[in-house]
Amino acid sequence: MIRYLLKRLFWMIPMLIGISLISFFIMHLAPGDITTTEAGFNPKASEESRQKLRELYHLDEPVIVQYGLWLERMGKLDFGASFASHQRPVFWETKDDQGNVTKGLIQEALPITLLINVLSLGLIIAIALPLGVVSSLTQNQLPDRAITLFVFIGFAIPGFWLALLLMYWTGVVHDWLPISGLHSLHYDQLGFFGKIGDSLKHLALPVFISGLSGLAGISLFVRNGMLEVLHQDYITTARAKGLGENTVVYRHALRNALLPLITLLGLAIPGLIGGSVIAESIFAIPGMGKLFYDAVLMRDFPVIMGILTIGSALTLLGNLLADLAYAWADPRVRRGVMS
Amino acid sequence: MTTINNHPIVPMRLLIGAFILSGLAGCGAPEHTTTVDYDGDYPVEQGGSLVEATRGEPSGLIPMIAGESAASAVAANIFNSLLKYDKNLELEGELAKSWQVSPDQKTITFTLKPGLKWADGQPLTSADALFTWQLVTDDNTRTPYGADYKLVTKAEAPDPLTFRVTYPQPYAPALDSWAGLQILPEHLLKGQDINTTAFRRNPVGSHYYQLKEWRNGERITLTRNPNATQGQANIDQLVTRFIPDEASQFLELMANNIDSMALNPIQYARIFPARPDLNSKIGLYKELGNSYTYLGFNLKHKPFDDIRVRQAINYAIDKQELIDGVLLGLGEPVASPYKPGTRWTNPKLKPYPYDTAKAIDLLKAAGYEDHDGDGIVDKNGKPLSFEILTNQNKQREMSAVLIQRRLKEIGIDVTIRVLEWASFVGRYIKTGDFDVVLLGWSLSLDPDQFSIWHSSQQAPGQFNFIGYHNPRVDSLLERGRLELDPDKRMVIYHEFAEILLEDSPIVYLFAGYGLPAIHKRVKGIDNPAPPAGIGHNTYEWYIPRALRRNEISTQ
Repeated sequence: MIRYLLKRLFWMIPMLIGISLISFFIMHLAPGDITTTEAGFNPKASEESRQKLRELYHLDEPVIVQYGLWLERMGKLDFGASFASHQRPVFWETKDDQGNVTKGLIQEALPITLLINVLSLGLIIAIALPLGVVSSLTQNQLPDRAITLFVFIGFAIPGFWLALLLMYWTGVVHDWLPISGLHSLHYDQLGFFGKIGDSLKHLALPVFISGLSGLAGISLFVRNGMLEVLHQDYITTARAKGLGENTVVYRHALRNALLPLITLLGLAIPGLIGGSVIAESIFAIPGMGKLFYDAVLMRDFPVIMGILTIGSALTLLGNLLADLAYAWADPRVRRGVMS
Repeated sequence: MTTINNHPIVPMRLLIGAFILSGLAGCGAPEHTTTVDYDGDYPVEQGGSLVEATRGEPSGLIPMIAGESAASAVAANIFNSLLKYDKNLELEGELAKSWQVSPDQKTITFTLKPGLKWADGQPLTSADALFTWQLVTDDNTRTPYGADYKLVTKAEAPDPLTFRVTYPQPYAPALDSWAGLQILPEHLLKGQDINTTAFRRNPVGSHYYQLKEWRNGERITLTRNPNATQGQANIDQLVTRFIPDEASQFLELMANNIDSMALNPIQYARIFPARPDLNSKIGLYKELGNSYTYLGFNLKHKPFDDIRVRQAINYAIDKQELIDGVLLGLGEPVASPYKPGTRWTNPKLKPYPYDTAKAIDLLKAAGYEDHDGDGIVDKNGKPLSFEILTNQNKQREMSAVLIQRRLKEIGIDVTIRVLEWASFVGRYIKTGDFDVVLLGWSLSLDPDQFSIWHSSQQAPGQFNFIGYHNPRVDSLLERGRLELDPDKRMVIYHEFAEILLEDSPIVYLFAGYGLPAIHKRVKGIDNPAPPAGIGHNTYEWYIPRALRRNEISTQ
């Protein structure tokens, strides 16, 4: 088991280097760099000053040399500083001589995106599981049809459109929820519970919107998994033994039907750090999606690479975790891993 | 430091948003209708908060390094320059009480107002101005704006109130450049690396406001600076919220959560007239924008080296149609690269009228006629067809489509290609690999446009990328740079604009209006807007106590 784990972890290193190399080259395939986006078209900005900036950022070197420099820094776990946002550190905070702390870009965006995605994943599971089970138990009857229709509408509806509608309805027509942002202007004057309430109010719509489209996938997944299991021989056996319907459905069928869900959730881990550009823009949430999108538009190479590296590392880790969780949950797989 | 706005606009979403809003308008009356009379007369009083929304967050608040417009907008409330533009866009002193130009026009001496202080109470002297000049010209400072200041051969601060700069030869845009350089405090920045200093997120300035709080990704709160060099502003706090999406900003405005935002033409001309409840609490303003949109020809490519072809295209484009169709009427035609209404604009110049007959005649004179009867004019068997390149900006895309149709009428075949900004600049503009571009230039406050039109400015990365070369314009631009007397300069630039219009290296399409919407609780706003826009006297704006939002009390 330990050997298997070490082997998998070791193989992640060449994989990561390969991924970063390909990302780095693709990133440089796009024309332009930070000097074309930042003040690139301002007549007051001279070409000499831009050339100076290119030299400072080593953008005048061949791409392979730039990659070498980047890799060298990464070897020291230094993600570098952003070109576009005033030399802010890409990943984690730095401290200068006077003790002033500058927060990292990813450090600030990641918790927000993680919070929203974890909440919405929780929401998805909490709703999709019962929906899927009910669906499978009433296959092709009215509840099943209604649920399927509902989740498909949720899947098909454009998120930004529904978001704007809900913002208008809950924020403008009625004064129920804030429209955008993460905190109210008077947040600092609130007490502890007031702060939590304020945050929850701000998070309600973004979490709902980002969860809605995931609902369809998971609930259909559960429904189909359940249907497959319910037709297995051991369920017939369980029923023949005279077990109660609840025991059959929830202890024997559901637990087996949920196994593939573990893989699915493992694969969802890297998705947790990727925010949605559109949702984040509409709700004015400073998360990872907006950070990445802006970085691409500005050709802010250190930020792009930082996010890609962390994303690919998490993807690989997520795969590993999913495999391990699967082995833990399913004895058949476990035997394969152990041997 | 104005840059051309290249943010893609997303009107599809706005259109849908507008549709939703109009559709839902009947569904329920807004709950929080108030009985407050926003139109009444209220005496001037201090206090209150103004909440604005902008699309981008500043990367830092040292404008010479941050560069983007979001940073300049916030920093403009924190820092002072030596000079500033008044409401009619004429230069006047800000930190400087006066300035003298030496008889040989090479030396400018600024005399500072006495008793100036930084927000932390330290004296603000000419040493700070000297220090700022050293910073902006330092090779380690990561700024693209150093060029103007590097021309200075000697800068000195002989006494605390005098700052003197000497140029090797007269340099007329110098005064404009000193209005653009915000003075930074030497006592807080000396010995620090300007590129990474904590000061960039915790600045200390001398203007009306100082930084109170910066919540990353959410908002910046400024509060009144008790030591302000220009007197005290009326409003206590300025809150700038970062809301990237225009439709969300608009919802916040409707819900009374923000006081001010920049509208787009659809919101201004379509949604507002249909919503009396909005009109009762939100005031609409119209001010001249800072840029114009143009169609630029690559003068090194045939057939654009032929003035008759360029003029024909100019005559064939209906500018009013563009203004009506793209801006919903909220713009002006321009005939020179200067803000209409300022002294640099030559009042005699009129845009090319829409005249297809003249256009066809000009094409004929240039040898273009439809010989093979396919509807496209040709010369020596080659049809006249080209591609218009533009970036992802809805107004520009729509303009290109209208132009495409008008040019088809005179037998020119046009295709349109829309590109992402960095690719556009990096792949096409820098390499000169284009026929026609549809872009924007800022309407600069200083008339000097040497970098855009002088024939020496054509290297890759420089701004005369259309390859304009006219010896008369070159000499006028050179003379204009050497002349510091505004009246004599005016004559030079009026002539320059006249030749430019005649030569038609670009077709001026339109200059759009800026469309600020501000809640009616804010009083003291100049309407109609002077040339400098409504923002020129924000310090005089006030919010009467009775109209203030009650949720944020500033104690």
